[in-house]
Amino acid sequence: MSAQERFFEHFMDPVDGVLCLPAASDAAAIEREASPHGLRFPLLLDRTTPLCEQVASSPFAPASSRYGPYCDNITGMNWELLDGRRVRVGERVVKSATGYDLLRFLLASGSRYGRALDYVLRLRPACDTSRVFCLSGDVASLRSALKTLLQSSWMHWLDSVDLVAGDSTFLRVAVHCPAREFEAYRDFLSAFSKKFSLALEAAADPALDGCPDLVVKTTPEFVADTAISLAKHPGAKCLALCSCGAVHVFLPDSGAIGEIVRPIESALHAMGGHWQSRHVSPGPSPLEASWISTLRKEWNIS
Amino acid sequence: MMALPTNTVVAALHRAAPGSRVMTSPAQMAGYESDGLGYKSFRPDLVVIPSDSDELARVVRVLHDARVPICMRGAGTSLSGGPVAVQGGAIVHTSRLRAIREISRDGLWCEVESGVNLRQLDEALQPSGLCYPPDPSSGPVCTIGGNVASNAGGAHCFRYGVTSNYVLGMEVILLDGSAHRFGGPAGGNGPWLEDWKRLMIGSEGTLGAFTRFWLRLTPRPEKVWTFRATYPDLQSTERAIHGLVRHPAFPVAIELMDPRAVALVETSSMAVGLPKDHFLIVTEIDGPASLVDLRVESVAEVLRAAGSADVLFSDKAEDRENLFKARKAIGGLLGQVSRDFLVQDAVIPKRALASLLQLIDDEADRAGIPAVTVMHAGDGNLHPNFLFDSRIPEEVKKVEGISKRLMQRVVEVGGALSGEHGIGNDKSAYMPMVFGPESMRLQLAIPQIFNPQHQFNPMKVFTERRFAG
Repeated sequence: MSAQERFFEHFMDPVDGVLCLPAASDAAAIEREASPHGLRFPLLLDRTTPLCEQVASSPFAPASSRYGPYCDNITGMNWELLDGRRVRVGERVVKSATGYDLLRFLLASGSRYGRALDYVLRLRPACDTSRVFCLSGDVASLRSALKTLLQSSWMHWLDSVDLVAGDSTFLRVAVHCPAREFEAYRDFLSAFSKKFSLALEAAADPALDGCPDLVVKTTPEFVADTAISLAKHPGAKCLALCSCGAVHVFLPDSGAIGEIVRPIESALHAMGGHWQSRHVSPGPSPLEASWISTLRKEWNIS
Repeated sequence: MMALPTNTVVAALHRAAPGSRVMTSPAQMAGYESDGLGYKSFRPDLVVIPSDSDELARVVRVLHDARVPICMRGAGTSLSGGPVAVQGGAIVHTSRLRAIREISRDGLWCEVESGVNLRQLDEALQPSGLCYPPDPSSGPVCTIGGNVASNAGGAHCFRYGVTSNYVLGMEVILLDGSAHRFGGPAGGNGPWLEDWKRLMIGSEGTLGAFTRFWLRLTPRPEKVWTFRATYPDLQSTERAIHGLVRHPAFPVAIELMDPRAVALVETSSMAVGLPKDHFLIVTEIDGPASLVDLRVESVAEVLRAAGSADVLFSDKAEDRENLFKARKAIGGLLGQVSRDFLVQDAVIPKRALASLLQLIDDEADRAGIPAVTVMHAGDGNLHPNFLFDSRIPEEVKKVEGISKRLMQRVVEVGGALSGEHGIGNDKSAYMPMVFGPESMRLQLAIPQIFNPQHQFNPMKVFTERRFAG
């Protein structure tokens, strides 16, 4: 049997809805390939930042609410190890149970073992209507509404349900659908906001928030309160990606991250959560350091 | 099979884990010789059924110290030869780890032990209005532990995703008996720098023993519409699949049966009145009633426009059952018409469907081996079933030859060796088709961290993984 290294070449497959392109591509480059086929890659934090930097800054984008984290929407990649050797990781097909899942492991590892050169992206059907709705009211009503919405079967069909906390606190719901269905979405959101005494306001253009300075991973149950609490830090703005249980924190000064995470770290760990930042990284325990050392030695990158 | 001082090990197990059941008689071992793959059997030296996770940890420690191969096993429904004792030794059966510890409706997660089966979980979740979507065909009996070990999927994972999309955390017993928690209800790393659970999911029992999981839950759909359509040829069937995959209704399932599979159903007592020489597509859409009701006609139109004059659909539970009946009947029928069958599990780019189906038919016809193909068509996840008699060596050789050539073609067209069954010992020999030397090195580094002597589930996934004893 052959034992040759295989690599992904750049391609666009509209039948399977997968696109392989450089990991440093930006939103416009992805759209150039996907849009002519009526497809889109919905997981974007920013229009100009290279996708690999977006992936490194958070496992989630707002549309992860509907489509899952980046690691469920990147099916494969060409990866360059720290010493320059290149390997292919993952597949061009969405489903695979073939060997250890290095794809998801490496996507979550930042640049500790190397970097992505190319991604295979899972694309989704693009529809003709995108809208953002803001639901505002008192915090108790927002909490109550959010709890109900997260348990509703509408959650599968809303591109994102985010709680924005900063100067003001409100729910932001993104809809992406065929025009003929838009009325059903609007009717639902209208009735829903009335039920919880929230004001509903439509905005035309879905805004992108950019790459967060800090990501705090908790559960959907605690995500809103975590965001509201973290937003009390001077100058901080928080975006709770509610069904993902992740808070994106945007800070005027990344030097404050240690001070922000120290009080919440042990509670996060107890529930299997964590924090991560593109600016600083926590260190491994001695046991984990020994595992990482074995991995690096076996991969010959120690 | 390795020589094993069985009495000494059994005595040590009784001392360390007095609540565990330990079995060694040949009659008891016979039930653990094979899994759903069936025709390859390996007799273990002993079977241990720990009463809880603490005992499981002590059992692992004793077996580790005695240098006994350890094979974890749930319901044994694997189709790839995963939970079998290829090098003899001990099978550790998780059948008593069956507690659903917690369901958090507000947190959208549950905590379950590894021996919980999918039906048990679904029944427990029903009052909450939440569900755990992965739905392998063995759902009524297969365990969460086995599902996580093989990264199981099922018919509805085209939209909902496979097991790895739902595992938030897990507790793993390593060889020294130490318990480690990777992730938890929040689904993050916990105190770890790296996301180690990612390596554990789909590791097929080769890294450690799984005792419990935290699983992500999702709201149950309010309404479901099921569609059935038949097609006279592959071209029109492909058009329907491609149309459904791109439809903004995002079908949850797109299932395909080839004419041989349809004929098998129609010549059985399970017949539902399908034309025997046609392809069958079954698809479903779900969601809020006000939304899915808007989509029904457009989905039916995709099926008709592709070339079907026979499109049926319904939102009534009884009708849906009937529409899905042919697809669900196939597994049981295969067991009735053939002594053995080998079901393969390749994932292919959908544009390669016609060439792969042709290859399967040509190879099967040439070898005189009946082949019946079903497919999770939305994902390109192909399940050809080869019917044979394992008592006839020539038939075994033919089936294994067809499988190898099929997998070579799958790799050539850019597909994956397995979508949801795992590699086990059935496909481990094919791994060099997929992984070059550097990629293989990266793969084989993973057991070096947690199970360097390959004591956990040796000879699985990679043929290099032999336990030296």
